[in-house]
Amino acid sequence: MSFMQPSPVKYACSCGILNPINKLFFCRHCPKLRCGFCVCHEIESHFCSNCLENIPSSEARHKKNCCANCFDCPCCQHTLSARATTVPVVRKADESKDGGESGSDAAPSPKPSAMPTTKKMYYLSCLSCRWTTRDVGIPDQGVATGTWPDNECLYQVRFNTLMEYYQSVVLQEKQEKQEFMRRKAPKQHKFPSLTDRTGLTVSLIRRQIGWNDKSIPKTKPINITPAEASAEVEPLSEDIFTQPINLRNVTTVAQRHSQPADQPTAVNNLYPQRRSLWIKRSLRCRHCEHNLIKPEYHPTSIKYRIQLFASYHVPEVVMVRCEQPLQPGQTNAIFLKFTNPTMYDMTISILDAPPADAQVNMDAFMQGCRIKEEAITSSPLLKATGVTLTRQNSTREVTREVRDLANATIVPLDNEFVLSQRDDSKEFDEDVQAPIEEPKFIVWRKGNKVLMRLQFTPAAELQTGDEVTLGFYMQYTYVNTVSNTPDKKEPTTHALYSRLFIQAGEIAQGTAN
Amino acid sequence: MEIVDTYYSKDEYVETASGNKVSRQTVLCGSQNIVLNGKVIVQSGAIIRGDLANVRTGRYCVISKNSVIRPPYKQFSKGIAFFPMHIGDHVFIGEGAVVSAAIIGSFVYIGKNAIIGRRCTLKDCCVIEDGAVLPPETTVSSYMRYTAKGSIEGGQGNPYFVPAAMQDEMVNYTKSFYEHFLRTPAPAS
Repeated sequence: MSFMQPSPVKYACSCGILNPINKLFFCRHCPKLRCGFCVCHEIESHFCSNCLENIPSSEARHKKNCCANCFDCPCCQHTLSARATTVPVVRKADESKDGGESGSDAAPSPKPSAMPTTKKMYYLSCLSCRWTTRDVGIPDQGVATGTWPDNECLYQVRFNTLMEYYQSVVLQEKQEKQEFMRRKAPKQHKFPSLTDRTGLTVSLIRRQIGWNDKSIPKTKPINITPAEASAEVEPLSEDIFTQPINLRNVTTVAQRHSQPADQPTAVNNLYPQRRSLWIKRSLRCRHCEHNLIKPEYHPTSIKYRIQLFASYHVPEVVMVRCEQPLQPGQTNAIFLKFTNPTMYDMTISILDAPPADAQVNMDAFMQGCRIKEEAITSSPLLKATGVTLTRQNSTREVTREVRDLANATIVPLDNEFVLSQRDDSKEFDEDVQAPIEEPKFIVWRKGNKVLMRLQFTPAAELQTGDEVTLGFYMQYTYVNTVSNTPDKKEPTTHALYSRLFIQAGEIAQGTAN
Repeated sequence: MEIVDTYYSKDEYVETASGNKVSRQTVLCGSQNIVLNGKVIVQSGAIIRGDLANVRTGRYCVISKNSVIRPPYKQFSKGIAFFPMHIGDHVFIGEGAVVSAAIIGSFVYIGKNAIIGRRCTLKDCCVIEDGAVLPPETTVSSYMRYTAKGSIEGGQGNPYFVPAAMQDEMVNYTKSFYEHFLRTPAPAS
């Protein structure tokens, strides 16, 4: 097995998508499985992946989400690195500086008294494609970072005025909307009066005192000259038909896209591009709005402040092997390893249909969540202004049916079994536990791990080479240490279930039918 | 999927007191400069160039078949100098990989036939795909995946590329790799 290979065991997320357990999260408050699709992605912090510097979000916005120090190669989009060269500088008043020369050896000075001192000059070089800033004639710099010129694009001024214009348009629309809302919404005041609604008294009093009116002067969008289309297009130059084209000097589509402002057609117009920033994400449950994962700010840190991975709460099922080569319609058995990641014992049962009472439990739990939510949103003042404290869900949670992929029938276990709690010190214990009476299907038990044998029969109509998929419901007890109600502090035990699909393998060659 | 047991013959591998399993069919140059911090597997055909500079690995590393670990060098005006190489804990180096990085963090996965150019920095919890070629002095930060195409993708909290629980995954993977790398049981006589 390779680490990168997809896992044959897939869990059905609460949104209906199948995922391996390492891509799933477990919301302790819901308590349900969540995947990357059914959570809210938020930006936690910005950083540069090359210099690993953390950049605050306001600064990132100001710098247009680019790093101030790092550059990408315009040719191959790899990071540029600074290279140093020594340049001889003759220290003499009447001699001009001999800069820009790349020769590493100091030129023999005309007089021994004029000691040639060397100065370090830097240029940027791509170690992937050997592009350098010297190729496009950018002069070497005295310091390695910070002084590289920004290539201003031709339309910079026009873009800036357009930006200003649209910003003022947005501001004006916002003001108009606020004004409209103020007039429309009846004020929930103790003594509502007509004057209050118009805001007349306030402005009257202010005028009497001699202050100027409170109302902010309305912003008018500044005038811009609209772009004009013209039918006249510059004719192509003559040499385009006569000169043979040299494809080495023409930029690729990727190179043009990496320089969107001017999109150069010739390679001598490629300039180093500032490296775009990366983000760390935090994921939030869309239903209860609790964080599922929240990484630490620091770019080099690999820790999380909140980490609700499914592999910390849900028993992990690992496929070990099938007992016999898979044949259609023939009884077979699969060995599965169950691991309990929690600090509490779990009772597990394998079923071929969803447990009947599970839905009822879940509804009762969700009711608790809903009451809490309503308490926040039901304040009359907030309702009147149309503002809710809770974040607006960007999309509604769509629960789709889990597509039944199974093409084999399993023999559900006749009784449940207990997975003992995780104990890291057990790993170092030498003593072997006393053998206890085990159900027949358990092969071995070691600490929080159980190897189990599950019988199944692939469907009879399968052909050679078809993938056999088992599907079953795993019901497990989960001890929840968080509670939504303040009066209840002791952990509550839930009976949860997950739907699992296991790709057992392909139907073997040489089938009987 | 569970890792299947791999067996090696008694003559092929040497097991040290700290649990390192080192094949005899390896080229370990300058072995006094190579520190394997315990439970490290060095498989047959691997080359570790300790004669160039110090090489230090953490615990539970796997150096697969035919891979080359070569300390990085830097060119100065007065010749070149080699730098020591540090490899963290729970690092997997795939078959045929050529690694010349300056620093490899912990919980790093390097795929088969990957080439890591000189003086690269691989931070904790990053993944190098099979067959990827890293140009010299590349930094791959945490939770990033360097693809065979040469692009970097992922990021911490992004569930689609490098798993969010990369640390636990690599610990599990390297530990179970070690536990399933067994000596062929002596024939019952």
